[in-house]
Amino acid sequence: MTTSTLVYDTSVRPGAFGLIAEAFREIWSRRRLIGYIVRADMKRKGADTLLGNLWWVIDPLLQMLVYVVLVSVIRGGAGPPDYPLFIFAAILPWKWFSSSVGDGVTSVTSQEALIKQVQFPKIILPFAAVIAGIVSFAFGLIPLAGILILAYPERISATLLLIPIVAAVQFVFTMALAVFVSSVNVFFRDVGNVARHVLRLWFYLSPALYSADELNALLNRHGLVGLVLNLNPFTALFESYRNVIYYGTMPEWLGLARVLGLSVILVLLTVYLFKRLEPSFAKVL
Amino acid sequence: MTSEPRAASVAAMPQAGTTQTGSDHEDDVPSIDEAKTASRAAGIATDVPFGSTVIEVRDLGVKYSLRLTRKTTFRQGFRDLLKRKEGPKSFWALRDVSFRLVSGESLAIIGPNGAGKSTLLQVLAGIITPSAGAISVRGRISSLLTLGAGFDAELSGRENILLAGAFMGMSHQELVERVERIVQFADIGEFIDAPIKTYSSGMRARLGFAIATSVDPDVLLLDEVLATGDQVFRAKSKARVNELVKQAKGIVLVTHDMTWVQEYCNRAILLEKGHIVIEGDPADVVAVHQEHSAAAKAKAAEEVARYGGAIKRP
Repeated sequence: MTTSTLVYDTSVRPGAFGLIAEAFREIWSRRRLIGYIVRADMKRKGADTLLGNLWWVIDPLLQMLVYVVLVSVIRGGAGPPDYPLFIFAAILPWKWFSSSVGDGVTSVTSQEALIKQVQFPKIILPFAAVIAGIVSFAFGLIPLAGILILAYPERISATLLLIPIVAAVQFVFTMALAVFVSSVNVFFRDVGNVARHVLRLWFYLSPALYSADELNALLNRHGLVGLVLNLNPFTALFESYRNVIYYGTMPEWLGLARVLGLSVILVLLTVYLFKRLEPSFAKVL
Repeated sequence: MTSEPRAASVAAMPQAGTTQTGSDHEDDVPSIDEAKTASRAAGIATDVPFGSTVIEVRDLGVKYSLRLTRKTTFRQGFRDLLKRKEGPKSFWALRDVSFRLVSGESLAIIGPNGAGKSTLLQVLAGIITPSAGAISVRGRISSLLTLGAGFDAELSGRENILLAGAFMGMSHQELVERVERIVQFADIGEFIDAPIKTYSSGMRARLGFAIATSVDPDVLLLDEVLATGDQVFRAKSKARVNELVKQAKGIVLVTHDMTWVQEYCNRAILLEKGHIVIEGDPADVVAVHQEHSAAAKAKAAEEVARYGGAIKRP
């Protein structure tokens, strides 16, 4: 429904918690619109390609192949056993994260025309970008299942059922970042360029292609403190994914809990920032 | 969502009118005079107590910050910071604007370019948040601002209808009910299932118009939207606007077409540089506006003559 009564009084301003609560109410009440945006987004990405949405399945596989070749050349072949699965467990969630943040950057600015014409809660835009990422993540579980069944049937374990829990923690963290970059990009278009490189560096500083111990040793050798690794939320996330997918063990509960705690705080902060900036979007865009 | 403040009045609004938006209007466009009388009559006919406030605007101000203009980069930001660049940091697009629109009224907002007319409509539509003052709009708002600019080029017309409708806040139920009506009104044949990027600009405009006018608003905001499409579609869209005008409880119209103002509206506001210069009977306000613009024109002509003369005689 369109708002029945629209009232603005500039002498009355809602407080921080009022704004944050409003944002979550908006997301909930516009859930159907979020669904439409996600579907449109998927359609757009599949358009003009021969294989269409089949790319959602092929893409992570090819990416895995690239890294397998790359790293085997660098390492000279001596990697952890079942290396393709080892890195696939990290590539899949990373694709979701990087595409959500990447799309999040432009999620508000690309709707410029609409924002100037129609009144709607802008917070749904970065949110939809993250949801679209989840969909691609879910599609990526298909090749994961394929790899497991065809190549590594001995690694299939019940801990695979814990993937959604790890993903839920990642979702909260991704949401915080997407909301942040989407709002700042309205004012400074540099965010997109910066984000691209930061994401790349972030990936290499995370235990994606290596195990955490290995990366730690590598970083120490180059004078970088292992602190980088400990502060990185993706250390706990990747290790947890790898535990449940590759090792068949429990996720790193403590690490996950820490990331979740941090992410919840970040979400509250970034959503508040977004809501404070939102009124000027239509003017600045 | 918020409950409708006066549910009874909504039920009394003509519902049937929307079904006859098809081709039967093409050769039978109601004259502007008819629409005018009808629109005034409609205000009285509905059981909304005549004179109840639909829009109230009090001391409205909209401030634009010039520091945060489009596509600022860090570099510029730092440079300005380092140089301590002074200059106009902000300007008021609207200042101390107060008016009230009662049920059954249609209000024209006129003024030269850059007077703040479109900003005012954007504020009323809730797109821009005011920097000062207060506004309240009662009832369902539909704004016909720029048409079709928000389309997604890769998606088909039908998908864009769903997307645009959802952005406008239609419920799923309403959308399902309206999609066919919108498709029929846009009347672009098989293109409706083709991606928007294959559309001509006229087809885009037709679809945009059909979507924007598919709602039955209580308060209608119009920003010069009638110049769309070919002759036939223009007649059809004019008929649809007339229909909306009849149904709406309040209309705010921004236009440069002075005949429109005098025919359609029973009140007018002249905006200049963000301030209300005069408010009142359309004829009077238009007269003042024409006086002012004649003065501006004369001044411009004088300057052209001066500079033109300077160029001619080096």
